[in-house]
Amino acid sequence: MTTRRSFLKTAGTITAGAAALSTATGACAVKDPPANNAAVPDTGAERVRGFDRTILDAVATAVLPSALGGPAIRTATDAFVAWADGYEPVAEEMHGYGYAEVRYLPADPSPAWRAQLTALDLLARKHGTEGFATLPMAQRQELLRAVLRDQRGDRLPAPLDANHIAIALLAHWSAGPDAWDTALGARVSPGICRTLGDATRKPLPVTVEPRA
Amino acid sequence: MITHSADIVIVGSGITAALMAASLAEKTTKSILVIEAGKATTPFAERVRARERWKAYGESPWKQDHLDDQNATGTTWGFSPSMHVGGLAMHWGGVSPRYSPEDFRLRSMYGVGSDWPFSYDDLDPFYQEAEERMGVAGEQGPVALDPRGKPYPLPPLPINYNLAQLQQWATKAGIATWSTPSAKNSVAQDGRGQCQRCDTCYPICPTGAKYSPDFTWDALIARKRITLVTETLVRKLEADPKTGRITRATGNRTTASGEEVTIEGGTFVLAAGFVWSPHLLLLSKSSAFPNGLANRSGLVGKYLAGHRNVNAYLRLPMELFPGINVQHSLVSKQFMRVPRSSRYLRHDLRIWESSVGREPRLRADDGAIQFGDALMQDWQQRAKGATARVRGYYDVLPDKNSALTLDATKTNRFGDPMPNVSFKDAPESAALKEWQEEQLRELFRTMAKAGGGEILRMENSANDLGQEHPVGGCRMGTDPMQSVVDAQGRAHDHENLWVAGAPAQPTASCCNGTLTFVAVGLRTAAAIAGDTERAGAPVRGQS
Repeated sequence: MTTRRSFLKTAGTITAGAAALSTATGACAVKDPPANNAAVPDTGAERVRGFDRTILDAVATAVLPSALGGPAIRTATDAFVAWADGYEPVAEEMHGYGYAEVRYLPADPSPAWRAQLTALDLLARKHGTEGFATLPMAQRQELLRAVLRDQRGDRLPAPLDANHIAIALLAHWSAGPDAWDTALGARVSPGICRTLGDATRKPLPVTVEPRA
Repeated sequence: MITHSADIVIVGSGITAALMAASLAEKTTKSILVIEAGKATTPFAERVRARERWKAYGESPWKQDHLDDQNATGTTWGFSPSMHVGGLAMHWGGVSPRYSPEDFRLRSMYGVGSDWPFSYDDLDPFYQEAEERMGVAGEQGPVALDPRGKPYPLPPLPINYNLAQLQQWATKAGIATWSTPSAKNSVAQDGRGQCQRCDTCYPICPTGAKYSPDFTWDALIARKRITLVTETLVRKLEADPKTGRITRATGNRTTASGEEVTIEGGTFVLAAGFVWSPHLLLLSKSSAFPNGLANRSGLVGKYLAGHRNVNAYLRLPMELFPGINVQHSLVSKQFMRVPRSSRYLRHDLRIWESSVGREPRLRADDGAIQFGDALMQDWQQRAKGATARVRGYYDVLPDKNSALTLDATKTNRFGDPMPNVSFKDAPESAALKEWQEEQLRELFRTMAKAGGGEILRMENSANDLGQEHPVGGCRMGTDPMQSVVDAQGRAHDHENLWVAGAPAQPTASCCNGTLTFVAVGLRTAAAIAGDTERAGAPVRGQS
């Protein structure tokens, strides 16, 4: 019989194992159509897009602040899915100053991330539940903590560097201007093109003037 | 065989070339031909999308911006493989300080390095011209620290809320600061809009508020004032063995066809930066010029110069909101204008807002993984307060053997050896390095203390990788045996060959260099215009 302790220990090993899975992962059904991202040209390479949205939503509600509210969490998750679908593997990196060689972005992380969702679900089912998405919030978070137990903690990585989908989702959301504004308690909107003249004013509190 | 011909042939299409071409187009009636090895990169209309993808994924926003087989090796910090219309200034940050008067008289004032063959005052009108052509927004600093003949062409970028708080702190620390001069539109002008503080000046401005050379090229082409030939690599200059005059340039298309190209001209200008300008001279060997062209002194490729930095993040007891305008900063030239002392140190100072130490994190102080509302509450606590980033570039004096050489083991598709770059400090700089960097660290500690703050971390630039804002390789001077070009940029050995901007500079000061590269190039352009008009050289048709 699987004890809770051994269950969580197993969860940790699944993180690393899932990351090594390839696009051939048959257990990962594509349930959502690919996001319409016309910005990415079809290179002819076959790519399996999309995530198991039910499980991803369950991850999102476990890791993103509940204070955002359901619609905002759904929006953040949609944005993450669109971002992942829009990724072009091995595109050239910016080569500014500092090194002469041309560098390339990594392989598509989505296959491993899809497999991690599947693994979360399998893990939950091994506990006799009906899947990760059916777990109560506390148990979902407990399972995720076990899976992520070896993650560095001082800061979140860039989403593309995340080695688990829960971290990628969290990192993608937290890099956005809305998340920063919430953290700062002010309408700063970092990274958004905006009026130069307003820069001299102290940013308004988040509660006063929602951004259009 | 393709043949081109013009009165003035400019090799390279970066920022110095573009603004020299603009100047020459006004000051002469001569035909101007510009040769670029690469092609045009991301069009203006696609830069919003390119910025989005860079922000989202780190994808280069500049497409097809290099040639795979045309690159440098060695200590290439400060170098970029970018080879396209507009050059590196398509992705520069737009920061446009002037050097200080001391930079031109280092030997006379401090007993180190080299004097330039002209003074700051001589360059002042060309600084002004560069600032006006680019549209530099700047604030007049204290006159004693920031001398200039005329006001900046554009009002300064505003001291934003964060910088205003940081300026008060700097004042308390005894440091005069002002808005960093930047080639960004503080007001709409020249058909380009006002800066919208998108904060991606480097590597891409989506609005066109930041100056980049493509705007100048587009305007010159529309006026039919220049001919820009792309995808053509100049591989050799040929000189008359008797007169030394450059007779033609030869090369090949960089397209699949690789056709041979000949370029005939009356005046040749190398405006291909600190790597490709000396590289072409070294490649241009012949029986009459066995060490390459313009190389009687043996100094082509030598005296590569730049600067290094010490950088620090400070936590301060004030309230800042990171993200208001991250790429804009305060600047001070207080430490560039120093009296002679027993040990040489000059440096600039920049101050930015920063988000370091204020980001979200996965683990709480007790090491527990946190999600959701707990993570946000932790982030909100961390986000309070302020982090400042401070950085000082300090002057590095070049050794003669700080050099670019040809590496026969690495060749392009045509068999040309590629450049290898190896920076080396002059002995006086090498001896001072540790002390200079400690002085900067001590300054930052003093600044932190003055604001009641603390140092979060300090770091040096990557010392073994080269130097920043590099120059040299064709240094200017009055003695033909101690320099490659004269004070105007004309090769001592070839009356119709000129080297423009960064490669001609003897030293690189301790601040961003692009404005000075351009100003030096514009000074050369004025000399070329005078020379060609006086000579009444036959006007060649463009082809």
